[in-house]
Amino acid sequence: MSKENTTVIISCAGMGTRLGIGMPKALVNVDGKPMIIRQLEMLQDCSDVRIIVGFQADKVIETVKSFRKDVMFAFNYDYRTTGTAASFSKGLTGARTYVVALDGDLLVRPDDLEWVLNAEEEVIGGTTPSTDNPVLMTLDQEHRVIEFSRERGQLEWTGLAKMRTDRLTPGTGHVYQMLEPLLPIRAVEIHTKEIDTVNDYENAVKWVRNHYRDAE
Amino acid sequence: MSDYIFLFDLDSTITAREILPEISRTVGKEKEMREITEKTMQGIVPFKESFLRRVELLKDIPVTEVNQMVAEIPLNEHIAEFVRENHDRCYVVTGNLDIWISGLMKRLDMKGHYYCSKASVTENRIDRVISVLDKHLTTQQFVQPAVAVGDGDNDADMARLAHIGIGFGGVRDIAPALLQTIDYAFLDDRLCADFLRKLL
Repeated sequence: MSKENTTVIISCAGMGTRLGIGMPKALVNVDGKPMIIRQLEMLQDCSDVRIIVGFQADKVIETVKSFRKDVMFAFNYDYRTTGTAASFSKGLTGARTYVVALDGDLLVRPDDLEWVLNAEEEVIGGTTPSTDNPVLMTLDQEHRVIEFSRERGQLEWTGLAKMRTDRLTPGTGHVYQMLEPLLPIRAVEIHTKEIDTVNDYENAVKWVRNHYRDAE
Repeated sequence: MSDYIFLFDLDSTITAREILPEISRTVGKEKEMREITEKTMQGIVPFKESFLRRVELLKDIPVTEVNQMVAEIPLNEHIAEFVRENHDRCYVVTGNLDIWISGLMKRLDMKGHYYCSKASVTENRIDRVISVLDKHLTTQQFVQPAVAVGDGDNDADMARLAHIGIGFGGVRDIAPALLQTIDYAFLDDRLCADFLRKLL
């Protein structure tokens, strides 16, 4: 039942400039489907889904419309100058007890996302560090995140977190900076692929084709 | 409770069909109506000019007949329900004519709560258009903070001047200029109404 008290906010406002594609990364086709559709397929039994749009909002809306109409769109026109927290914060108005933050350019293994959606407490998703210049998370012995840092930590911050809405203060930096004053929060290890470069893209396609697993 | 008042466009925001094309169909002038509408949407004909031309096309239909047709037009029921439930805080802002929409306004419990264009009537026919509503000027007159809901390019100023601008794309696609000024958008009228309730 925990999905009934949960709002999901997907941030799709930014441009895919590093990929050199001229479209929001959420619209990038991964193995036959745009990323945003892959995410929405995993969220079919979530009744409060909000998508933050900005760059080429009309195209994102059109793509989403072909799959599902009962979503809310929130607009972040300052996507060039603001971080993910600005987009995330736009979606908080009138949100339910819990809110799940999800980046539109993140591919998450379906079981992992399902686990986070059903969690009955606050959780932060971390993954094995793999990207250039990651934001890392230090965990304590009880597997709780106690610090975000560029220098040290066991897991990489993924942008996926489930939080109590009433504990969040809207921000304009990064989502993890909104979580910092609320630590410690339970960490959960998840499997993800982020798409920043062409190389990432090719890896992600292989990963999805292999049922969200790395090839043996 | 918030201080917000709620401003609604009428055509394809509260109504589930476009009003003037719907009427034009009944008198076989659908094609001409579509031509003017498309030119307006491409920005070739400004709203005021286009509205006068569209009225010209329909002015020979008895006013009471049009009023009756408009009153019976299908509505986006969840949005209409929000308007009725909160009629003291809702206002309709539309370019449409008072003499055509008064029946629908009564059905929505919006009597005395709408801003629109005006025309004079002689023997149940439109004699002349007196004024065409400017949504920008009308929205500027409100002193209470507003939430504005619309779908057309001519709703963009209303959305920009409002504290919260909402686009409704459940009937037609949200117009390009409006997309640039809104804070939220919905394609589903139930979800839109649920969100409006959270802003009460």
